[in-house]
Amino acid sequence: MIIEIDGKACTCSPGEYLLNIASRNGFSIPTLCHHDGLPGQGCCRVCIVEVSLRDRKDIVTACIYPVEQECSVFTDSDRVKRQRGMILALLRASAPESEEISRLCKMYDAPLYERLTQKANEKCILCGLCVSACETLGASAISSVNRGVEKTVSTPYDEPAADCIGCASCAAVCPTGAISVEENNSSRAIWNRKFTLQLCRHCGKPVGTLDELAFAARKTGVAQTTLCEECRRKAIADEMITAYER
Amino acid sequence: MRPTPYPFSRWSPADNNKFASAEIYFEGRMLMEIMPQEFSSLLEAYPKDRRYALAVMQDMQRQYNYVPREGLEALAEYISRPVAELFSMATFYKSLSLKPKGVHIIKVCNGAACHIRGAVNLVGGIKRIFGIAPGETTEDGMFSMELVNCMGSCALAPVMTVDGKYYGQVKIESLSAIFEALRNEAKP
Ligand code: SF4
Ligand code: FES
Ligand code: FES
Repeated sequence: MIIEIDGKACTCSPGEYLLNIASRNGFSIPTLCHHDGLPGQGCCRVCIVEVSLRDRKDIVTACIYPVEQECSVFTDSDRVKRQRGMILALLRASAPESEEISRLCKMYDAPLYERLTQKANEKCILCGLCVSACETLGASAISSVNRGVEKTVSTPYDEPAADCIGCASCAAVCPTGAISVEENNSSRAIWNRKFTLQLCRHCGKPVGTLDELAFAARKTGVAQTTLCEECRRKAIADEMITAYER
Repeated sequence: MRPTPYPFSRWSPADNNKFASAEIYFEGRMLMEIMPQEFSSLLEAYPKDRRYALAVMQDMQRQYNYVPREGLEALAEYISRPVAELFSMATFYKSLSLKPKGVHIIKVCNGAACHIRGAVNLVGGIKRIFGIAPGETTEDGMFSMELVNCMGSCALAPVMTVDGKYYGQVKIESLSAIFEALRNEAKP
């Protein structure tokens, strides 16, 4: 199947998500709540584009829009830019501290609405990526708490969570840098808890938290390693070389 | 770190690192003592499945006037689900509460009809009597006030319920008498 994106013919298979087709073909559509490993959040609406199907032109959410028919897509039309700017202005009001959102706001000329109150000290847009990352990897230490305007993401009872393994995956997927992680040479602090880091026995770089490695070992049944990614690769390469030399 | 607004418990551990009994403290006083067996009977009324989580938590709410932390954790273990998931549920539903509510629950309707007929004045009246705002509980743990939306009896506006009993066309002057009568009764 062939669709047209900003005038360029792009091949795709039916049912593929528009965002994936566009990125594969070199178009950059801004996203916040999209992560390749955790698809389907579809809540920030920054990725909207215009799709022209027969005689209709609709605004759709690219990250969760499956392409079923031939169509032409406009990723940067005036209508898209205007609406995206408006969406970004709203997101900025709920997370004024986020640098990523400020950057996008500037890029899309987001209007300033005087009547919107800016939420103090907030970076989170409640997209849920962190919660689904934590759930997917199997720890489920954080979740959304309360609802409506009081909704936040937190650990049960706002306390250091027993289920947390300190892997910081939540912080890694967060589009706005809302989850604080502090790390020094020997420990990492996240979600009000402090974790001891395992250092690579070869080069001394941190491999991960002890809890994280134990968790991985328990899940995979493979004993935990005390080598970092790089040293592990080197060790394998060394082994291969000696194997061939023989 | 934010100070925890939730009750805390001192529990005496049993051998298997479960609690043998827990004393629940909230806002500087001991509220109750809970034994793990109590949870077992609440839990075992339902099959070990996630879809009964809400029902179990409602039962706990009814029994203790809130969902105790020990109860939430016991439920998580019973249905093999993460505590975070249940905590999320418990904070989502208005009918569940993680802080103890009073023995008597006053609900003041603030739906459109009651609002116009002066629901806010009732709230003010209750505040004068008990010194509590909506969502709060008196220090002696006897009364909680909640502001709710239309209770379906607009013709009687302003409407208030106490422990599920309806009071229509409530006047501020009659509030004291209603509560006095309840204070002297045992919990229904
Ligand atoms: S902390 Fe980040 S990832 Fe989690 S909900 Fe907020 S914005 Fe999304
Ligand atoms: S990236 Fe598509 S809705 Fe957020
Ligand atoms: S508005 Fe109060 S009962 Fe309907």
